Formats: sequence, C-alpha cells, structure tokens
Amino acid sequence: MAATLPVFVPERRSWRRTVSGLPGMQLIVPTVVVLLLVLAIVGPLIAPDALVYRSDILSALAPPSSTHWLGTDEQGRDVFWRIIAGAQSSLLSAVAIVTGFSFVGVLVATLATLGGKWADEVLMRVVDAALAFPPIIFALGVAAALGPSLNSAIIAMILTGWPVTARVLRGVMKETMSQPFVENARVLGVSRTRLMLRHVLPNSLDVLVVKWAGDVGNTILILGGLSFVGVGAQPPSAEWGAMVTSAKGVIATAWWAAFTPGIAIAITATAFGLLGDILQVRFNPALRKR
Amino acid sequence: MTTVANNPKQQTAVFLLRKAASSFITLVGLSAFVFMMVKLIPGDEARVAAGENASVEQVEAIRHSLGFDQPVPVQFVAFIGRLLHGDLGTSITTHVSVTQGIQQVLPQTIELVLLAVLIVVTVVVPLATVSALHRDGKIDYTFKILVIVSAGLPTFWLALLLQYGLGTKAQLFPISGRLSRNMHVPTRTGSVVLDSLLAGNPLAAWDGLQHLILPAVVLALPFGAQLYRMLRAELIQVLAREHLTVARAKGVPQRQLVMQHVLPNSIGPSITLVGIQFGAMVGAAVLVESVFGLVGIGSYLTNAVSQKDTFAVLGGVLVIGALVVVSNFVVDILQLVRDPRLRAGQLGA
Repeated sequence: MAATLPVFVPERRSWRRTVSGLPGMQLIVPTVVVLLLVLAIVGPLIAPDALVYRSDILSALAPPSSTHWLGTDEQGRDVFWRIIAGAQSSLLSAVAIVTGFSFVGVLVATLATLGGKWADEVLMRVVDAALAFPPIIFALGVAAALGPSLNSAIIAMILTGWPVTARVLRGVMKETMSQPFVENARVLGVSRTRLMLRHVLPNSLDVLVVKWAGDVGNTILILGGLSFVGVGAQPPSAEWGAMVTSAKGVIATAWWAAFTPGIAIAITATAFGLLGDILQVRFNPALRKR
Repeated sequence: MTTVANNPKQQTAVFLLRKAASSFITLVGLSAFVFMMVKLIPGDEARVAAGENASVEQVEAIRHSLGFDQPVPVQFVAFIGRLLHGDLGTSITTHVSVTQGIQQVLPQTIELVLLAVLIVVTVVVPLATVSALHRDGKIDYTFKILVIVSAGLPTFWLALLLQYGLGTKAQLFPISGRLSRNMHVPTRTGSVVLDSLLAGNPLAAWDGLQHLILPAVVLALPFGAQLYRMLRAELIQVLAREHLTVARAKGVPQRQLVMQHVLPNSIGPSITLVGIQFGAMVGAAVLVESVFGLVGIGSYLTNAVSQKDTFAVLGGVLVIGALVVVSNFVVDILQLVRDPRLRAGQLGA
C-alpha cells in the first residue's frame, strides 16, 4: 500500500537554504520554540485562576483594553491569561503524544528489523492498516469507546501517530544493519539483542530528532481540531482548540475571543514546523546517507 | 517472484494481483481493529442493540440472534461475514441501518473532497512550476512564505474566520448548508451538484457549487501546502538533469520544455501524495463540515459520537478506512499505467 512513496520526504537543498536562510531564522525559530515550551510548563502557574476559569458575566465580551489585553470571552474570562494557561494542555499534550508514538514506532521498527522476514512482513501490513485511519476519524472512534476527554484524544493520537515513525525508522535501521561496522560486530559474535541496542538503534535514531519538531507542529493542529469537534479537551479547559470552540458563537460580537487562540495555535504550529526544517539542514548528511 | 512471468502483460497482472491481495489483507486488518474496538467498549452490546427499555428476555434474544453468546473468534468470523454482506449494524438513535445512513451522507463528503483535490491540483501545479523555474527568486520566496503560513493555520479556525468574513460580512458566499432555500433537487446520486445536473437544473448546480467553494478551499489549503513543497523539490531535481540542459541548448522553447519534459518526469510522487491526501481529506472534512453545516460522513460521525451510537461510529470509521485503502490501490494502478519504468522496477524486485 502506497509503498511507492516514502512517507518521510526529506526536503531538498534549495527549500532548506531559503527558509532557514531567511534573515535571523536560525535564531528566531529556536528562541520562539523555547519560549513556547517554557510557557507550556509555567503557564498554568503564572496565570491567575480567577481570570482563567471564573465566569464574570458583567465583563463578558469586553474588547481588548489595558485591563484585558486580548479582551474577554462570552463568560467574561480573560482571553490573554486563558491562552497562557492553555499553553500546557495544548503544547505539552502534543509533545507527550509525539514522545508516545515515537516510542511505539521505535519498538515496532526494532521488532521488524530483529524478527526476521515474517515478523517484518506482518508488522508492515499492520502499519498499512493503521495508516489507513485518518487520525481525526480514529479519535472519534476512541472517544466513543473511552468517552470524550483530552486523555482520550492523546491516546487516540498516539495510536494513530506511530505507523509513519515505524516505517521511516525501519527503513533507516535496515540501512544501518547493512553498514560495515554492524557486519563487523556480527562477525565478532555480538548477540542480536546487543547488536540492536548498542549499534543499530543509536545509529538510526537521528532521524527522530529531525522528525519530532514537525510532528509536534502537526499534532497541535490536529489536537485543536479534535477539541473543536468535541472529542478533545472539554470546557472549561483553556486548551486553545476548546477556546476557539466555546467562542465560535460570539464571533460576530467578540471576534478576539475566537481569533486569538487560533493565532496561538498557528504561531506554535508554524514555529515547530520551521524548527523541523532547520533541524533537517543540521542533520542533513545523516539524511542524505539513506 | 519465482513464477514465470516473462511478457509484460503477465507481469502487470501479477503486480496487480499482489497489490489487490495486499489491499485485501489491509482491509481485513482494519476490520479486526474495528472489531477489537467494539469488544473493548465497556457495556453490554446486546443491551445497547436492544434499546434502553427492552426486557431481560428481549436482550437475551438479541444476544443470541447477534451471536454475542458465542466465543470471540467465532464472533469475529461472523462479524466479517456480516461485513461482506454490507451489514454494519443498526444505528441505535435513528434505527436505520448504518450502511443506509452512510450511503446517504458519503456522496456529499466525496463531492466536497473531490472539489478540494481539484483546487489543490489546479492551484499548486502552476505555482510550484513557477517557483521551481524562478528558484530562489522573489516569486519563489513569496510563494514559499505563503505556503509556510498556510500550512500552520488550524483548519477549523480558518473555516470560522472565512465563514464570518466572506460569508456573513462581505456576503460573497453562502454561510452554510448545501443549497439555498428556494432550490430543490430530487436525490439520485446523493451528490448535490451531480443531482442538479441530472435533473437538468444548472442553476441549482451552480448554487450547490457556491455552497461548496469556501469549505473546499479551507480543506484544500494545508494539503496544497504539502503538495507544493514536494512538487517544487521534485521539479528542481528534474530541472537539474543533463537531458534538460541538452534540450535547452537545442533551443526547445521553455513552455514545451516544462510541459513535455519537466512536469511528466516530476509528477510521479505527487500523484501518490494526492492519493494519500484523499483519505486524509475525508478525515479533515469532519472539521469543515461541522463549521459549514454540511451533511456528510464527518457530521454523521460527530453526531454518532455525541449520541454514543457505537455501531454508527464504527461503521463510519470502517468505511473511511476502506476508502483510504481503495484510493491507495487506485493510485498504485494509476502509477503503473503512467510510468513504465515503475512497472519494470516494481516487478524486478
């Protein structure tokens, strides 16, 4: 199935050169990403609970002002502080998802490489079947099974994210397996498990370093979408997708309440996507080897 | 392959058979997956199927008739058997068979997705070509920034903004729904545009198309960005090849060079990508449909989830998965027809 296209498409030189060659890009993008990650960790701690969760109907739908920098939403909650507080459930969830499915992907790829021809064939068929589920659709199924919540969405996305990683990594591992130093180790009588853990795995994982940033960017977009259709974070969560959802009814009177959390998602997704491009340039030789 | 398949026709047949077999295995795997999900869902299936007010005897009767009192492997075989008959169970909220329910909504989603694919291809192919020809120039740069920005926009949010800005405020497009109120078209295929044309009503077809344009553009954007990046990279690679330098030196006009030499040699991976995107778009259509109030497999699924209508959810998931498998198979065949090198390469392996 779709075997003719490598799912992971290494970008060619020119794209990288221009994007990462934009003035200051190499500096700005990593800085923004670090800031976002810090925000995701400390956000809920610094945001005052009263402004984030407590309704204050009297000051509902107030436009941006000096007291409410980004205005208030339909329940009078401060949009700016909600975005700060929501960074955690939006961004850290995405990081957790990518970490989770990378683990599963590594495990499957290792089994496929170690297990011989049959295991490889069976696992790759499983990968095909799993790839056939669009993540949003799958999450809807999981939500039906586990009940809609941010946790169900995270589980669903881990369950749908791993196949791409597994397939990419399996390709890299096969390549590493055929390298002379692995051959040498095998001739010296190194056991299969040790060969895998000490030689093949460490020399294949750099592809994940390149992949994770782009994955986090995509995951944030999908996670927001899941909240939007009601199977992700539930109100009164300040998760950004959920914020857009709860404010969509008042878009005509208070555009800021739906607009700004979307911008937060867009900035985060773009920053991580660009970081992925920059990392690819850095790790270019390792990629070109394949 | 140890079988003797010397002539090309035989080789193609073998290749197609292998692809079909692999698709079939994937479909069985998919069904197993969905079946497992049904089994993992807490609660008594028989009670769910019988309805809230059923008596204990009725529930037991249903349990027996649905085979839920059998061992799990037997149940799985029965499940596959029902699938082969197109039986996906009955919706517990509408009491209509899931197959029927999906048949009513699926054509509308496919209509939307096909329009989005059309938009992606007609916009991206020229843009990527211009970009690649003027590599690192101002145009290339501008397109690239546009692509970076549009790839990072959340679909559901963009849909809301465009609906408000271009629909409610500027009144350039209808805000939601599939047809204006004064339009009525008899349902034949389920696709509104097609049905309008079949009914000999071009006005309704145009109206239906207008309702689809905004959702389709929103749906197309992230996929277009993805395709642009791949096609541009592929074009640049092909443009650097020696035979093109020769062609240029011989004075082949630019237009002919691009249309006859560069594009046909670069489009292969993009076709595969579009095939994969088709499935992903059916998934993403959920978001767009919910904003624009469109009937489709997406809204069917979200309704089913909010009503805890298990069979409807699983049926929908399975149908979409099957759609993805089929579209990948079709793309594989397309590639085979298009590229003889691929045929040789695939079979030699």
